[in-house]
Amino acid sequence: MLIRIKGAHIVDPANRRDEIADLWIRDHEIVAALQDGAQADETVDASGLIAMAGGIDIHSHIAGANVNTARLMLPEQHRAHARRPAETPLSKIGWTTFETGRLYAQMGFTTVVEPAVSPHHALHAHLELADTPIIDKAILAILGNDDFVLSLLRSGESASALSDHIAWTLQTTRALGIKVVNAGGVAAFKDNIRSFSLDDVVPYYGVTSRAIVKALQRAVHEAGVPHPLHVHCNNLGLPGNFETALATIAAAEDLPLHLAHLQFYGYGKEGPQGFSSAAPQLAEAVNAARNVSIDVGQVMFGQTVTISSDVLRQFSARGQARPKKYAIIDGDSNGAGVVPYEYRAGSFHNAVQFAVGLELFLLINDPWRVFFTTDHPNGAPFTSYPEIFALLMDKDVRAEWLSRLPAEALAVTTLPSLTREYTLSEIAIMTRAAPARLLGLRDRGHLGAGARADIALYRPAKDIAQMFRAAARVYKDGELVVRDGTVTRSRYGRALHVTPVVEASMQRRMAEYYDERYGLPSDFMRVPEGAIRRPQPFEAVACRS
Amino acid sequence: MSLKDSISAEATASIDGAPASLDEAAVAAARLLARSCQPLIAGLGADVDGARAAIALAERVGGVIEHMHSAALLRNLDCLRETGIMLATPGEARMRADVVLLVGDGLTEAWPALNERLLRPPARTDGMDVARRIVWLAPATGARIPGFEGNIEIWGAGGGATLAVNLAALRARVKNRRIVNRRPPRSELPLTDLDALAATLRGARFGVAVWTAASLGALEIEMLHGLVRDLNETTRFSTLPLAEPDNSAGVLAACGWATGFPMRTGFGAGVPVHDPWRFDAERLVASGETDCVLWISAFEASPPAWLSAVNFIALCERTTQFAEAPNVRITVGRPGVDHDAVMHSSDVGTLVAATASARSSAPSVVQALERIGACLEDANARPC
Repeated sequence: MLIRIKGAHIVDPANRRDEIADLWIRDHEIVAALQDGAQADETVDASGLIAMAGGIDIHSHIAGANVNTARLMLPEQHRAHARRPAETPLSKIGWTTFETGRLYAQMGFTTVVEPAVSPHHALHAHLELADTPIIDKAILAILGNDDFVLSLLRSGESASALSDHIAWTLQTTRALGIKVVNAGGVAAFKDNIRSFSLDDVVPYYGVTSRAIVKALQRAVHEAGVPHPLHVHCNNLGLPGNFETALATIAAAEDLPLHLAHLQFYGYGKEGPQGFSSAAPQLAEAVNAARNVSIDVGQVMFGQTVTISSDVLRQFSARGQARPKKYAIIDGDSNGAGVVPYEYRAGSFHNAVQFAVGLELFLLINDPWRVFFTTDHPNGAPFTSYPEIFALLMDKDVRAEWLSRLPAEALAVTTLPSLTREYTLSEIAIMTRAAPARLLGLRDRGHLGAGARADIALYRPAKDIAQMFRAAARVYKDGELVVRDGTVTRSRYGRALHVTPVVEASMQRRMAEYYDERYGLPSDFMRVPEGAIRRPQPFEAVACRS
Repeated sequence: MSLKDSISAEATASIDGAPASLDEAAVAAARLLARSCQPLIAGLGADVDGARAAIALAERVGGVIEHMHSAALLRNLDCLRETGIMLATPGEARMRADVVLLVGDGLTEAWPALNERLLRPPARTDGMDVARRIVWLAPATGARIPGFEGNIEIWGAGGGATLAVNLAALRARVKNRRIVNRRPPRSELPLTDLDALAATLRGARFGVAVWTAASLGALEIEMLHGLVRDLNETTRFSTLPLAEPDNSAGVLAACGWATGFPMRTGFGAGVPVHDPWRFDAERLVASGETDCVLWISAFEASPPAWLSAVNFIALCERTTQFAEAPNVRITVGRPGVDHDAVMHSSDVGTLVAATASARSSAPSVVQALERIGACLEDANARPC
């Protein structure tokens, strides 16, 4: 099958293209422009449309045990959903796996990473992803509060032992990368520690948060995992916590490091309420540290639910639950907290949070190192992305939003003074080219020959949000799946994972460890292909050699 | 190998008690479902794949999904939906608990491995062992944990009827509140006992309360969560509510991600509607609101008496006996025994992939449901 997408405005920064041209798709792949006279099986008139590679979201909590706890906790949040067209098996349904895939596809996103899966819950997460249609997906496995890694660091074992363990974890859980969440703080909370910062020591294990982050950062790098260590810092949400983020950036030294949802660390202690934006200081540090990438975790106003493996933080936030209920989970060598929350435009604190996110977007110069997220659903549901694109691309839209926020909140931020507007090319870098590079997905995020035919066509409009809310056409692996903002064909994508070499000695060691500590075979967390019940549910991504 | 080939010719099926082929049974089942005004998929003792398929079928036929242990399961779930709760996994409880608070009866029935997995784990070699105190509130008189040799501090034995008020009194004393306890209902535990127990709980470094909702009432569970919430003001305490049998927790997980809701959810309106009262299987049958039940029980659960009052299709384990012959019966394999399966594990506290222990060619629930679903294409359209 040869498809010619004719006369689109191609925005493909990875290949330095920003021009009107044709795109050719052969089966699942984009191929080089054919000479005139080549016969396409189908020609699509795309004049006036913008073509980008399919969007890639590097940090969105869409699946797994904690997300499911949130669904079950909040039946009132999805009781009354409108009747949906029947393209997906359960497409009449609210905030489900089936809806998740459909809603992402309609916005032109084709790959989404669930960034926080406790290794013991990997199978559950993969089963949910298997029921998430159209898009491809991946998980990050969480390490760094677990007894095995902490014991290994306590006993001062070689760095290669940690690298081997990371390889074993990635292979066993079929993950794309490693995340650490409030390194050491989650473990310390189980010993009744109620606050934990970068140089605090985990009881019994005698290691600091800093030591855990640095050891994991190096070991992930040495294991050849394309995605650098994905870090959720200490002190999330607290006034003055920008200093924790600055110290973490400094601790990264020259190795790659990714800081997740930096907005939640952009808080100073200035102003009438002792809560202010420290985004300029953070942005300056990120601009200077070329080894560091970040995603924003933009806050938008409205009801949501916070889902985090930072159980210490979530426990501290339980008093702010709206509605008043929560679950705090002491998980296996991990933790989790599900706390519903409503961000209100009239709230001083929430308005500052909204501003900090946009300041980070606008003050960090390099779109290759700042990633577009709401930390779904922690800052806002991913369905608010179109509004955020509009806020970034149009300063008049921003001004209109700011006019509705408390002036005293904006006074402790720099947002009203910022005039930058993102270009389409910068949006394409931030949501396509850069995430593909960050995750090591060479055939994604661009429209060059050999790329996977994941393509989003948008119809330009004065209303930027509408343009991104409803893609004119979306192709997934060369197959048309969305037309005019509506899913027209459902299919199932794959879960992407790396397959590092695992030393036999680590296999044996983990078997002994799980037998002794848990009384379980070490393969209890395995994710066999046959358990997923979808054709070709997985796709391997190469490690750096 | 096609699905059809993979199902043995030995698969036993029957229609109105008379032997039938699997295909004939599937056609008959599809016809009953298609003609039903509101089919009810109940029992739902199935692996996770079986649950996924059952939910998809319910949506297709506008039916209701229900599970045989929904009532107990919802007593636990209601606390998640209405209040703040603390939860632990079996592994973390095993690694860390210095106080285990057992509450009520039925614990080893709900979790046969309670003793070796939680009460008496093997020593650690790295010197990080915790001394573990076992406290049991309101066991049946004379109850013991089979195999457990150590000391169990027992309080309020045989006092199941007054457990709610005992818990309330205990919670008050944990917070140093005065209790009057003069008029009934009152705690039969003397103040000195309550205070000793409260001191034990407050003195825990990482305590874990363990119960099964099959034995406790809604108020008791809610009070337990409140007690644990209060304890966390000064120390660490969590809970380990034991999962109901027949993979109820696995089915709940699948229902959650596929519909957003637990079981007792109906698709008749074209959108999923969850209503714990309205979609209670026994009530639906008694009221005549359903005229056709698809009863699924791949484990060895006994069928309920109310099935006799309605037309029903049974996907059941081979030894299952019914008071009245089902309109259609298809014998299915046992998950994890006859075929590989994903199920919730009480030992791990999450979904685990089990390899068949005695692999056979008996169809799985998902295979039987897919066969019925394929026949639905041909069955008559729903009349209402």
